Amino acid sequence: MNRWRYLRNKAGWSLFTIIFVVVLNFFLFRVLSGDPARSYHDPRLSPESNKAILVRFGLDKPVINCIKTINPLRFGACNVNPLNTQFFIYVKNLFQGDLGISFYYNRSVSDILKERLWNTILLIGGGQIFSILIGVLLGIFAAWKARTIIDYGALITGLMAWSLPTFWLGIILLFWGSNHGFPIGGKATPGMSSYPFFTQVGDLLWHLLLPTLTYTIIFMGEYMLIMRSSLLDVLAEDYILTAKAKGLSTFQILKDHALKNGMLPLVTIIAINLGYTVAGVIQIESVFSWPGLGGALFEAVGRRDFPMLQGGFLLIAFSVIIANFIADLTYSYLDPRVRTE
Amino acid sequence: MKVKYAILTLLVVLSLVLSACGAQSQPSVVRIGWTRDPDSLNIAVAWLTPAYTISGLTYSTMYKLNLDGTFSFDLGTDVKRSDDGLVYTYTIREGVKFHDGIPLTAKDVAFTYNLVMDHTDFPTLHSYVENFASVEAPDDKTVVITLAEAIPNIESKLVYLYIFPEHIWKDHAGKPAPDETATAEPNQAAAFENKDMIGSGPFKMLEYKPGEFIRLGVNKDYYGTVAKVDELVFQVFSSSDVLIQALKTGQVDMVTSVPTTSVESIKSDPNIKVVAGSPLNPDLEDIIFNVVDPKDCPIADGGLCTGHPALRDLQVRLAMAYATDKQKIIDVVLLGLGQPGIGLIPSGLGDWFNSNIRDYDYDVDKANQILDAAGYMDTNGDGIREMPDGSKPLTFHLNYPSSDNSAPRIAELLSEMWKQIGITLEIQAVDSDALTAKCCPALDYDVMIWGWTADPDPNTLLIVPTTDSIPTGYNETGFSNPRYDELYKQQSVELDLKKRHEMVWEMQSIVHENVPYIIPYYAFAVQAYRLDRFTGWQDTATKVSLEDLSSLLNITPIK
Repeated sequence: MNRWRYLRNKAGWSLFTIIFVVVLNFFLFRVLSGDPARSYHDPRLSPESNKAILVRFGLDKPVINCIKTINPLRFGACNVNPLNTQFFIYVKNLFQGDLGISFYYNRSVSDILKERLWNTILLIGGGQIFSILIGVLLGIFAAWKARTIIDYGALITGLMAWSLPTFWLGIILLFWGSNHGFPIGGKATPGMSSYPFFTQVGDLLWHLLLPTLTYTIIFMGEYMLIMRSSLLDVLAEDYILTAKAKGLSTFQILKDHALKNGMLPLVTIIAINLGYTVAGVIQIESVFSWPGLGGALFEAVGRRDFPMLQGGFLLIAFSVIIANFIADLTYSYLDPRVRTE
Repeated sequence: MKVKYAILTLLVVLSLVLSACGAQSQPSVVRIGWTRDPDSLNIAVAWLTPAYTISGLTYSTMYKLNLDGTFSFDLGTDVKRSDDGLVYTYTIREGVKFHDGIPLTAKDVAFTYNLVMDHTDFPTLHSYVENFASVEAPDDKTVVITLAEAIPNIESKLVYLYIFPEHIWKDHAGKPAPDETATAEPNQAAAFENKDMIGSGPFKMLEYKPGEFIRLGVNKDYYGTVAKVDELVFQVFSSSDVLIQALKTGQVDMVTSVPTTSVESIKSDPNIKVVAGSPLNPDLEDIIFNVVDPKDCPIADGGLCTGHPALRDLQVRLAMAYATDKQKIIDVVLLGLGQPGIGLIPSGLGDWFNSNIRDYDYDVDKANQILDAAGYMDTNGDGIREMPDGSKPLTFHLNYPSSDNSAPRIAELLSEMWKQIGITLEIQAVDSDALTAKCCPALDYDVMIWGWTADPDPNTLLIVPTTDSIPTGYNETGFSNPRYDELYKQQSVELDLKKRHEMVWEMQSIVHENVPYIIPYYAFAVQAYRLDRFTGWQDTATKVSLEDLSSLLNITPIK
């Protein structure tokens, strides 16, 4: 009963946040200085051509009633049909699952995002799994051997890995790798599509190796440090002392008593990082010429490609909200207090 | 950990399999690296140079542009011009086939030209047909173009009008809505992605992965010289450092652009050759002064005209021109890979470039004398001159687009150089979109560093400093000169090539004498290729463009 209300609450908040993001996304980018219509600055362009392009992208319509453009703020007619303004067309299309056409690529935004999202998930997905596995295991090991040479060694490694600049580590691995037969970026060797499926998968994994390694090293440090300190806190609790007094082995104490509580902060961090999975790690993508989502959005900001930005940020917001919702669910399973509160 | 070992083992096995595969089949593949791929394969809506590069390889045009800047027939074999210069009758090649095997006839040519004429939403292509009244194909090998007004440069209009196959594009020929009340036709041409890129050029589209690579295969049925390589791969790298590393490690065979900072490091590599020279489509970097006269201020189009008043004085601009050490800018910014600039028409445009103009020599003393004589004195002794009436110091805001890599260094150098004549700069980089808002037609700046790209015909850049271009925003300086405006109109309809040359040269002199711009340099195109993979790159031509057909149809693999 209580659990249902908890879930309903959380789901309601998630929905509200998504609606908020939908509205914010539209206005946020239009507040940026720079009018996409003006970026077609070319002496070859006739006024008719300029107008035809504006009509094609719907930029000739007012943003919303009474406002023609937001930055620079220009007022326009108030008596237009509200459904014929940029904002409502955007909302209407969104409900029909249409994210619009990219100003820059002249292609459907959902098509571009689909390609890019899949590439990013490939890149970050593997990195997440490896860094969680290695980080958590190292963290447990360090906490178990607390204040020994092993613990300090693991601690220093973790701190160093976490504080390495992603860009720098990527470049080092890339330059080292390219001199040792690794591909210098990209997702596949051009021309692979005519080879058998398994060869293609092998080629993909070969290209994934260095970027995934970069990701794993950086995030492993973070997970290891959090796991270690959270577990150390738990191990100082009275009930652990009781368990020790009962004569349980260290392994049993860790497995049955300490881990479940020690995992709680990590769940939060993992959920937050899952948001990154979609936003991509721009630095890794740009070092390894990986055609991911982060890079695409970064470029879209410079180009004032509103439909790309709206679609991309909605996707990111959506995945962060979903990831948090899942974290809440996991919490309610891991921590009985959440259920009863 | 077990999982990781398993994956590693799998990788090793697969890489062995892969290298074995590579050894068996040996199509000769030219791998070209660049940092930016086309924004669209539909050239009708594309903006970027890479889109034109790829279209130039896959499509035919009436004329082709040679490396020396001249035009020669591609699809055309003969042309007759009527005496009034309004009707051009072209005969085109017979036996030309599209990549899908269907013959290309004059009907396809007429269809393409009409398609472009009907579509105001084809941004750049449409500008090439603005003077066209009608295009017809009376039979399969004759195309008749009738112009509304005689123009001297039809070659430069037709050279980028790639011939589309009618049988494919007729289903994607929807026109845009003429106004807000009407609705657009279905199957909009601008929405066509054109993934197969069926054309009749020497290469055909094999595979396109946006943001990754483009694979082109040789067209064995090509009517001209058939390429001696099997495939071209254009691969995107996200930064030029990575691109250079790819060239060094042999993962690409040629790179379309080498940053000047990398030139030294790859010159020492015995397997790499660096080529530098005039680019095929030269880019211009220009230092722009806000010289707009208040009476020309385009207030109705959003003109603010807030420039520093001293910049409207020719003497101040002359002094700044004398105080600009162009060679030093070239040495620092381009590491010597460029030549001093004169005007908006770059030397890369061949005969159109006025080589008689004598540039202002670097002479700080002379610059100071000019300012002294004009009454700009440093009255308060702070090292900065003031206006003759003492009202305002000669402190100028200098803006440049943050995406421009050369501009920060140029700005720093200018700041040092002009400090010697009592002029200070307040330098600020802005987003290029925000700079457009400041620039034109608002004219809300003092000094800017920005650029233009030249077309093969000088007309595109000649229109920039005309009075009519102030309200449209192309004239960024606000420069206005009646004689220049008159010459612009005359040369754009002058059919006599020699007379047109004289006018174009005079126009360049007028702009040079009035200094609305200082052009610091004409940068060289710097490209590089590997010597151990292919031979036959055209690296001694007057212009450098290794991705041009002149190289790609000529190279052969080294066994």
